[in-house]
Amino acid sequence: MKMLRAWLLRFGGLFNKQCRDHELAAELDSHLQLHIEDNLRAGMKPEEARRQALIKLGGVEQTKEKYRDRRGLPWLESLWQDVRFGLRMLRKNPGFTAVAVLTLALGIGANTAIFTLIDSVMLRPLPVQEPQQLIQITRVVDGQNQALSYPQFSQLTGHMHSISGAFARQRTNAVLTLDGVDEQVTGEIVSGDYFQVLQLNPAAGRLLSPQDDAVQGGSPVAIIGFNFWRRRFAQDPNVLGKAFSVNGQVFTIVGVTPASFTGVVRGQDPDVTFPLAMAEVLWGTGSLWRQEDDHYSLEVMARLQPEASVKIANAELQVLFGGFIRDQASRTHDPDDHKKILLQRAEVLSAPTGINQLRSQYAMPLFVLMGAVTLVLLQACANVASLLLSRSAERQREISVRLALGAGSNRLLRQFLTESAILAFLGGGAGLLLAQWFSRANGGALTLSVKPNINILAFTVIVSLGTCILAGIAPGLHAARADVNSALKEVRVGSRGHWGKVLVVAQLALSMVLLVGANLFITTVLKLYTLDSGFHRDGVLMFGVRSSENYLPVRAVEMEQTLVARLSSLPGVNSASAVQIFPVSGEFWNRPVQVEGYSFGPDDDNTSAYNVVAPGYFDTIGTPLISGRDFNLADTESSPKTAIVNESFARHFFGQNSPLGRHVTYVNVTTQIVGVVRDAKYQDLRAAIVPTMYVPWTQRIGNRQPTMYTYVLQTKAGNPLRFTATVEQLVRDVDPGLRMIQPQTFAAVVDHSIIRERIMAILGGFFGLLALLVAGLGIFGVMAFQVSRRTNEFGVRIALGATHGDIINLVLREVIVMFLFGAGIGSILALVLTNLTRNLLFGFSETDPAAFVLAALTLGMAALLAGYIPARRAMRVDPMVALRHE
Amino acid sequence: MVDGKKDVQQGTLALMVLKTLEIIGPLHGYGIARRIEQTSGDLLSVNYGTLYPALLKLEQEGYIASEWGVSDNNRKAKYYKLTRAGRKQLAREARDWEATAAILARFLSPEQQP
Repeated sequence: MKMLRAWLLRFGGLFNKQCRDHELAAELDSHLQLHIEDNLRAGMKPEEARRQALIKLGGVEQTKEKYRDRRGLPWLESLWQDVRFGLRMLRKNPGFTAVAVLTLALGIGANTAIFTLIDSVMLRPLPVQEPQQLIQITRVVDGQNQALSYPQFSQLTGHMHSISGAFARQRTNAVLTLDGVDEQVTGEIVSGDYFQVLQLNPAAGRLLSPQDDAVQGGSPVAIIGFNFWRRRFAQDPNVLGKAFSVNGQVFTIVGVTPASFTGVVRGQDPDVTFPLAMAEVLWGTGSLWRQEDDHYSLEVMARLQPEASVKIANAELQVLFGGFIRDQASRTHDPDDHKKILLQRAEVLSAPTGINQLRSQYAMPLFVLMGAVTLVLLQACANVASLLLSRSAERQREISVRLALGAGSNRLLRQFLTESAILAFLGGGAGLLLAQWFSRANGGALTLSVKPNINILAFTVIVSLGTCILAGIAPGLHAARADVNSALKEVRVGSRGHWGKVLVVAQLALSMVLLVGANLFITTVLKLYTLDSGFHRDGVLMFGVRSSENYLPVRAVEMEQTLVARLSSLPGVNSASAVQIFPVSGEFWNRPVQVEGYSFGPDDDNTSAYNVVAPGYFDTIGTPLISGRDFNLADTESSPKTAIVNESFARHFFGQNSPLGRHVTYVNVTTQIVGVVRDAKYQDLRAAIVPTMYVPWTQRIGNRQPTMYTYVLQTKAGNPLRFTATVEQLVRDVDPGLRMIQPQTFAAVVDHSIIRERIMAILGGFFGLLALLVAGLGIFGVMAFQVSRRTNEFGVRIALGATHGDIINLVLREVIVMFLFGAGIGSILALVLTNLTRNLLFGFSETDPAAFVLAALTLGMAALLAGYIPARRAMRVDPMVALRHE
Repeated sequence: MVDGKKDVQQGTLALMVLKTLEIIGPLHGYGIARRIEQTSGDLLSVNYGTLYPALLKLEQEGYIASEWGVSDNNRKAKYYKLTRAGRKQLAREARDWEATAAILARFLSPEQQP
């Protein structure tokens, strides 16, 4: 208790110091007077009385100092002194301060933003009970996680003992009619145990249970997501029991998911969740998919039994999966298929953060980003450190005086650390603000909730502190070990500034890496934009349709053809058509084929890419016809089956001969090739062209609905979206049950398909520039210091007849040496790193020197420029002044 | 050990201050120093200056209270007096010291070994 009282009083002693100083002086004075009086009474002479009293009192200054120490909190006061001094120093060098704070802010801010992203993508577990018990069951194809088929889901999970429950889910988007209004929502179809396995409690109503998945088509109920409930219904409790319809089927809302739950896949917060039993209704298809071993559409997760582990579950899965594929293989007669089936692999993954889908797509770029950002931050630290070093050399005299007056070297170290702490603190604060901005800018591309949280703040603080120590420790140690004597005598000997140069070389190396990276990423995007995609992206409008009912085949055909005909006769429209899978959609469809006159080897891939198109498609999308003819209205359901193939197909199966007239068979349908078109990208811009065959939409097999197609229009000059309203009306006119959905330009679609690469390019360019700037400043700072250190030397040289050119050469030579070292080290680092990021790049052969050369040139020019200014200062040294200061 | 003459340790100095104030009653700094010097038989060299930080500490801890007053010769001086907490602390510390002294006395005197 007394301690607390003392501390509080001491804290109070920090204030009104002057008043208390007065009081102490008065008390000491009175003490003296009393003593003198006593002495006088004892018979001493006045001067003697005074002298004795003073001696007995002891050192007044020391007493005052000890008193002051006791009165306040000395460590706090000296710290505050350091801070004020530091602030004053920083204010006197506004340029340096601004740059240092800015680069620190950028480094810390970017670091925080990326960490936020990583945290939300990878680190935050699902808001469920015991998330570490959750696992994902996945097929593994080419190192990527792939979905399972329904038979796989039901059979595998039905027999696994190491799990207590499992569920399957699939993403679905639906257009629902609610209160007479149509709206598009994101959705999910889930199996019965979904909410049980996750162990969630509803925010309102109830959640889906296994009964809802028992009878196919028998549970027209739905759960809505909490955010959807808030956004669309303002959390109205009357939403329970509300009905909406999809594709003509009426559903009832029976519950709401809890607030903290945003789905099992990061970035997909489903508005509505449907039972798997209603899948057929929602998709408008038959239930064949439930028997197909190779219709892969379900993502599967499960919860481990308490005593089980991922390893145990995986071992169990391997056994079951082995049995499954053997069974599957035994049902096929085709020996190639047989082999392929037996090669399949499945795996159990720990999945406390949910389905690892977004992860495989974005993990690598995020790590690369984190690496780049760390590099920049290190650079900034090095910069600040070397600038502080340079300034500490300038402040040599001041430091020596302080040391001579009795300052401990610890105190000096603390001074420098305080200065860099202030910088780091300012930088960190600005960095947090920047991080907010960063997240919002990035958030548009990833739709993740990226609000900074306590983890982030703690991370920022730690990073800032680390920065501060890194940046301040070298100058601090250097200052503390200063040689007092020589500095006081103003003899400019001492440190040769090696550390400064080493830091600059390090910076140059880091800059080199970032510049090379920037180069590669930007070039990747440029290459993707300029490659020959095989289609024409400008001026094309695309849209889909949805209907409230399923149409009979005859009616469907009629509607489709009417729609396309009317679209193409619109004024301003060159041509219109339709396609099932539009280019660079990310989707892919292939079928095993038999080609006339070609026999597949045992290990050959016997599939061809496959697509269904309407007449006029190639013209609309800008893919030229090479030979033969396009589909036309003569190709009907009953006319001979036809097909069009691309160049790759022709080359692959027929070599130099023309494929026209030859036959291709798929699924027991034999078609005759009537045309060859130019190669065009299918799944995405990066994938290589594959042999592709197209069939006319009148001759497709299986179910057909107008909703299966994406309709394309080629428009005359101008923004294709200006046709949206017209097209919308036109669609309704064709049939009152039809609605247009998702109108977009093809150009936008293409851009979106390479959004990852575009982000990398933008960020790469930004970091490259940043690195350049920081390195340039570093060089400038160090060279300025070097020049000021060698002023005498320059003075002597000039006096002895050196020309301006000579001096400049002298200075720049140092810069060049540092540059060569830095660029060399940086290039090696860059080579290693680019190998690691190969799958982010596009169009680069093994050792493409262009990027390196360009980066080196840029860096070299920047270095020379940065060194030139101090060089000029060197050449202008007045020999008389310089020599007089010897 | 810094100086040649024995510097009174802070703790014992504080105790002496409290005892002095108990015996004499309210007293100014100079008077306390004089009294301590007298009582300790001039064996301890009290550099009078060292008293003031000690007085401040005691005041912060709440064992003594200060007040500006007037001395016999009509001189202004800052007087210190013992508080109730100070009295209790004094009693406690005195007991502790006596106990320590007794143990040490037994330990140091050439008694027969067990």
